[in-house]
Amino acid sequence: MDYQISVKDLSFSYNLKKVLEQVDINISKGSFFCIVGPNGSGKSTLLRVISAALKPREGVVIFEGTDINEMKIRSIAKMLSFVPQNTSLEFDFKVSDVVLMGRYPYVNKLKGETTQDFEIAKRAMEYTNIAHLRSRNFMELSGGERQRVILAQALAQDTDILILDEPVSHLDLQHQVEILNLIKKMCVDRKLTAITVLHDLNMASAYSDYIIMMKDGKIKEQGTPFETLTAANIKKIFDIDVYVTVSPIGNKPYIYALTKPSIDKKGIRIHVICGGGSGSNIIGSLYSEGYDLSSGVLTIGDLDWKISKENDVQIAEEVPFVGISEEAYAKNKELIASADAIVLTGLYLGKSNIKNLEILLDKEMKSKPLFILEDENFADRDYTEGAAAKLYRSIKAGGNVILTDSKMLKEEIIKAVRTHGKRQE
Amino acid sequence: MGRGKNRNRLLLILLIVSLILSLIFAASTGAVKIGAAEIIATITKGHDTVNASILLDIRFPRVLLAAVLGAGLAAVGGVMQAIFKNPLVDSYTLGMSSGAALGAVISIITGLNVSVLGMETTGIFAFIGAVLTLFFVYSLAYTRNRMSINSLLLAGVAVSYFLASVISFLMMLNRNKIEHIVFWTMGSLSMATWDEVFISAVLIVPSLIVLLYYTRELNILVMGEDAAHHLGINTSALKNILLITCAVIVGSVVSTGGTIAFLGLVAPHIIRLIIGSDNKRVIPYSALLGSILLILSDTAGRVLIQPSEIPVGVMTSIMGGPFFIFLLRKQRN
Repeated sequence: MDYQISVKDLSFSYNLKKVLEQVDINISKGSFFCIVGPNGSGKSTLLRVISAALKPREGVVIFEGTDINEMKIRSIAKMLSFVPQNTSLEFDFKVSDVVLMGRYPYVNKLKGETTQDFEIAKRAMEYTNIAHLRSRNFMELSGGERQRVILAQALAQDTDILILDEPVSHLDLQHQVEILNLIKKMCVDRKLTAITVLHDLNMASAYSDYIIMMKDGKIKEQGTPFETLTAANIKKIFDIDVYVTVSPIGNKPYIYALTKPSIDKKGIRIHVICGGGSGSNIIGSLYSEGYDLSSGVLTIGDLDWKISKENDVQIAEEVPFVGISEEAYAKNKELIASADAIVLTGLYLGKSNIKNLEILLDKEMKSKPLFILEDENFADRDYTEGAAAKLYRSIKAGGNVILTDSKMLKEEIIKAVRTHGKRQE
Repeated sequence: MGRGKNRNRLLLILLIVSLILSLIFAASTGAVKIGAAEIIATITKGHDTVNASILLDIRFPRVLLAAVLGAGLAAVGGVMQAIFKNPLVDSYTLGMSSGAALGAVISIITGLNVSVLGMETTGIFAFIGAVLTLFFVYSLAYTRNRMSINSLLLAGVAVSYFLASVISFLMMLNRNKIEHIVFWTMGSLSMATWDEVFISAVLIVPSLIVLLYYTRELNILVMGEDAAHHLGINTSALKNILLITCAVIVGSVVSTGGTIAFLGLVAPHIIRLIIGSDNKRVIPYSALLGSILLILSDTAGRVLIQPSEIPVGVMTSIMGGPFFIFLLRKQRN
């Protein structure tokens, strides 16, 4: 029970329309917690129920042991601050006045703001780097500057929890990054818990410790970015086809929306023999063309394995550092046998994966078209003292081999499948 | 910071001095000119002269009533603009004034115009009319847990028109009381008595204090209701307190002076143009400016086409209309 916030069995409806249904969440202190989901999935409503701006029909929101709806509005304001998508003032105020409003829950009505309040507001402005704007009017500022002012106000409010409803949706890329960096910094420096709705899944992936995926008022998935942001989940929640890879920086999932308008499945399956990242691009581009894919034998945790996992690729897999077992070999063989074509990428070869070459000499495989992505430095990838090179030469001498490169691959596949005919179902 | 504070103080002094000067000017101006010295003498000693009785029986109550009503209307305008976050809102555009006028007219027609504990029933009817209209307009604009400011203004204007035609219809049916009714719809201070000054002061001055007590919250409301809630304000309770207080003021203004348009809209804007939007200053300064403007409008109405009088509501509309258009154009830019 170390959770700072627990949402239990929460339901909410506007009039008769159910907006939230049986939501359960636990949030631990200091985490960057993100809610994603399509428009109208109940994300903003959930934030407002957590912040007690809306009362739930059923269920409770518990803050460090206390039901939030039993607390006074002022006490809630001392624990929790809220940052909206954007703030627009019909009557303009100076930046310093807006930040000072953050002290409202602490101010005695008759005495007014104390020197301490002014000091806290000043420090909040320095922290968010807006001290130089303090005498400017709020509405004269750019969107990013305004959002920093609102963050300063939230800091001046001196709360443990920061709730943000699409805080960067109105901003350009530079300011999106600037604001999210600032929020992340507040989480780390001040042990603030951030609960935010973000639209950009890659931003959510890069910043979040924990992600909740919502649809139709229900939580469909929750977990770390790797656990949640998979192609299958994104298809389920957003109904879009994406390709998920691993961001080279920060080791988080990185999502590409597939921009090809028609990705009707072609009904053709390609088996990719890869490893160590040599197959990532191939898997991505073939997947976006609508091919069914399988891959193997891949070591669990390998980059190609991760990408295969995230893109619904069938995998013959093996635990790390043990070589390829009979079982994995058989699975790989089974996948190849049922594929229409095989692609061999420029993978590194060692004792543990040399069987991935051997399998191509199996007589049952001879009839399949085999595309080899050739490069000139096979020797550099060979860590088997020549054994692999020998196998490689005999594979290339086989019947259905097409030497190609990654650019030409798609065309070659189409050509080969046309002449060779699709596999018989 | 320092310069802003000096400017605020300067404006406050200027407003207080202007208020005193316009009180004296209004008291001295009229069919009979009375000098400032004589006014002061009448106040301090009291005189049995004709001029003294003109001052004590006619001009002083009228001028002081203008001061109290003007302050009330302007403060209400400033508060409502802040609550609804819109520069075009005031008691008039939201239909409150028309509602109050209809209440007053109904009380006149039905002959229920009796005095209970010194309170005119007309005033009570006006107050009820203001409150009912406000909440009706409010509920029209409030759908699906959201309030759209555009629907609020549209509903207010539509309800205003509707109530105005109901009043016209009642006038048609009650031609014998038409003079009395016109007085309410055009707004006039010509019937001012000390009783009215006393009653409206008793109602309006405490209400002004209530409004002034909540100016810090009003500032925060400008951030939006969600934001205000998250800063620790019970927004629905606050709005109820403020709007009911506003209705008390509008009801007492209408019951004594009829519908006086534009003043509540214009005064807060003039103050904001000079010192910005901080309601801790805008509301009290607007009240002072409202007093000054209503005293001067009423005086102008009295003397411009002597021996006839222009009703003060007509005067404020003539001066306020162009300013309203100026605001609209400014908002578009």
